[in-house]
Amino acid sequence: MIELKHLKRLSAVKSNAGIKFLTPAAFPGNHCPMHTALALSSNIKGMSTLLIGTAECGNYSRSIIEKNKPDDHTLHWMYVLDSNEVVFGCRKGVMQAVKEMEAAGARAIMLISTCVPEVIGEDMEGIIRELQPETEARLNYVQMPHFKCNSYPSGFYKTLESFVEMMEPSKKRPDVVNILGRSKEEDHIPMPELLQALEARNMTLRYLAPKSDITDFVSAPDGALNLVLSPYMNPLAKRMEKRFGVPFVSVHEVYDVDGIDHLYHDIAAKLGIQWGDGFQKSRKAAAHSEAEAKEIVKGLRFVTTHRNTLMTLPLAHYLLKLGMDPLLLHMEEFYPDDKRWSKLLLEQGQNPYLCHMVNEPSDARMLEELSPDVSFGEIPGGNGKIPFVPHLDELYGQAGYERTELLLKRLISALK
Amino acid sequence: MGLHRFRPPLSGRMGTLRTLGTIRGAALIEYGCMGHMLYSRVFLNQAGVAEGCRLYSTHIDETDISMGDTKRLNRTIAEIVEKDKPEIIFFLPSSVPTVIGTDLNAICKELQPEYPDIPLLPFGAGGFHVHGYEGVEEALLLLAKELPKEREKTSHPTFNIIGSCADMFRFQADAEEMVRILKGAFNMDPVCVMTSHTSASQVMDMGGAHINIVVRREGEKAAKYLEKRFDTPYVIGRPYGIEGTLSWIINISNTLGVEADRDFVNQEANGARNHLRPAMPVLNHMIRSHPDEATISLGGHADIVKGILEYGHKELSLYRGDCWCDSPDMGDEDIPYFSEEEWSKTVRNRKKGIFMGSGEALKWAGKGLELQISNPDVRWRLSPYDPPFVGFHGAIHLAGLWLNALLEQEEEEE
Repeated sequence: MIELKHLKRLSAVKSNAGIKFLTPAAFPGNHCPMHTALALSSNIKGMSTLLIGTAECGNYSRSIIEKNKPDDHTLHWMYVLDSNEVVFGCRKGVMQAVKEMEAAGARAIMLISTCVPEVIGEDMEGIIRELQPETEARLNYVQMPHFKCNSYPSGFYKTLESFVEMMEPSKKRPDVVNILGRSKEEDHIPMPELLQALEARNMTLRYLAPKSDITDFVSAPDGALNLVLSPYMNPLAKRMEKRFGVPFVSVHEVYDVDGIDHLYHDIAAKLGIQWGDGFQKSRKAAAHSEAEAKEIVKGLRFVTTHRNTLMTLPLAHYLLKLGMDPLLLHMEEFYPDDKRWSKLLLEQGQNPYLCHMVNEPSDARMLEELSPDVSFGEIPGGNGKIPFVPHLDELYGQAGYERTELLLKRLISALK
Repeated sequence: MGLHRFRPPLSGRMGTLRTLGTIRGAALIEYGCMGHMLYSRVFLNQAGVAEGCRLYSTHIDETDISMGDTKRLNRTIAEIVEKDKPEIIFFLPSSVPTVIGTDLNAICKELQPEYPDIPLLPFGAGGFHVHGYEGVEEALLLLAKELPKEREKTSHPTFNIIGSCADMFRFQADAEEMVRILKGAFNMDPVCVMTSHTSASQVMDMGGAHINIVVRREGEKAAKYLEKRFDTPYVIGRPYGIEGTLSWIINISNTLGVEADRDFVNQEANGARNHLRPAMPVLNHMIRSHPDEATISLGGHADIVKGILEYGHKELSLYRGDCWCDSPDMGDEDIPYFSEEEWSKTVRNRKKGIFMGSGEALKWAGKGLELQISNPDVRWRLSPYDPPFVGFHGAIHLAGLWLNALLEQEEEEE
């Protein structure tokens, strides 16, 4: 019998700290959140960055910048702590660096602090508070120590959440909907039907994602509604609701047809529009797949792996509704919203093991011993005997009935 | 280290990792946040290291930091021993354990009895004042001290190369060229090419070699140690140019007390000269009539800059431009250390002439990457078959690069 005592069950996990590795030797492991914070910030048009950390962070960060190739005359510099600053702090040096960046033309600077400044307790908030009054460039900061998480998603959502500091209150425009988590240039992900329907009703969609312009974020509080398409965007949506009164709806968390009905109803009510019967075709297809799946999957035990890019607990909640049992769930990140989903699962008597997978061959051996009926996400390095739902990354950024239908078709196909 | 616009100098930890990362049959565990190792692996992949050390990370979380809990290491070692059965396991602290003072030496000592057949070897160079090349030096020395076993000298002549490591640009091709020449000139085979083309067991056999060929100054401490322990003499230097390579061969011959194969050496040297001969009138004309363009500026590892400069200046009569090294510990009057501010200013101000430097600097300056002689790199180097810079083949390669760079400048002017 496989030993999972080194893992914690859902009921015992309240944050990333509770999610243990399925097998101990990371090979290769995950990117740190600095990677995503920098990739995101440097992709925002007009935003410069100052990375604060070690020579390692400085060197690796250049690969990210070289890949992104920002061509908007922004600056992406690094402040590397020396041995003296590791003991006595780097406040003075960082402040001087910001002044030099401003003198060189930076107009908005995201300060990204990494592991060592966080271990020594450098007060980034204090630095910003002291600097901002004497600096014309708009300053912002994020703290990205890798030891506070297992993987990179916090680099996305904490950086995005920090953008609220750049926003300014403005008069509401009832025809503007902010789309959080999709870029205008994202041609490789099909445009959700919901967004097409909004456009057809003459709503102006403002896409907020990497590659958006900084001015789009600044003016976002004028939106009538925030539609959230990505788990990375929920914290920002919450902050915007609290600070600027912009309501939000998370469409990426809901899979069941009834739930999507309610969701779309809610959106229409908030915007004062009518949908008509525009979604009937996709709704019918999703409902048909849902009924078919319920017949097939009842009682099947499932796992999710690191190849699942969908938010794990909302997905598990939906699969539970279909009659499946969660056995072991890989969590790339324990998001702030996961506490709510955790409660829902526990209330229904489900308390699966949670884990983080960092070593494909070793993890595959463990999963094969566990022998689930199906895996959501591929099992690289495995023997191929466990049926799996592949290419879940293609569902990222999609939503609504059509996403549910696609997911269920793949599930049914995997089991056939 | 302060503010940087370009890649900052490597830390000692990075230098150590790039030294150990190529050793086959070994496993390396980095104790600390796993992002470090992931990026190091990307570097090694891009540098063309296809087979090497198995690279693992333990990761570390807040509880480990606040409680000083290192049990992750124990579990990781157990897993790797069971799965990989490595000949040796290297340990390296990443930055956070360095700050909190995790004592990897003590941990390894404590755990060693559990693994009597697999040495657990901790490496240092974790301090925040330690530069990358110091990490290389320390790693080479520690490998030389801890791994080699008592060996009789091999029955036929053999050598070790010390200091061919993945942190250097074009390290594989340069090592291959030196091995080729040593085989041809002395009929010697390598025991260990430390560390770019070696396994852990080959490092253990190093004591059997007849001579150590040290190809960068960071290797001298290791060579001195091996000289003392195994009575193995060493020569230090990199063979650049035709005359430079001949001197290098003579130096090895004198140290070994064995005459080089005259036929091979003459054939190689004359072959290189004959190869260059048709181009020499063009090259000489360019040098005479375009002195500003016929100036070489070089930036990189001090030993490489010095070697290439000597070839270009002394053998081919190119003019010396601005030459600098990339380590504050290696700068001297001849080849000073330039900070990024100094080298970027120098490159910007020098409008004419040939500049050879890092991929990053060349890209920034808008120049072709074929003139790259040092890291940081900006491209993948999948092929180990690129032409070398050292030896007879390297002499032809460099001369060809310079000739074309001169002609390109002339074309641009026209």
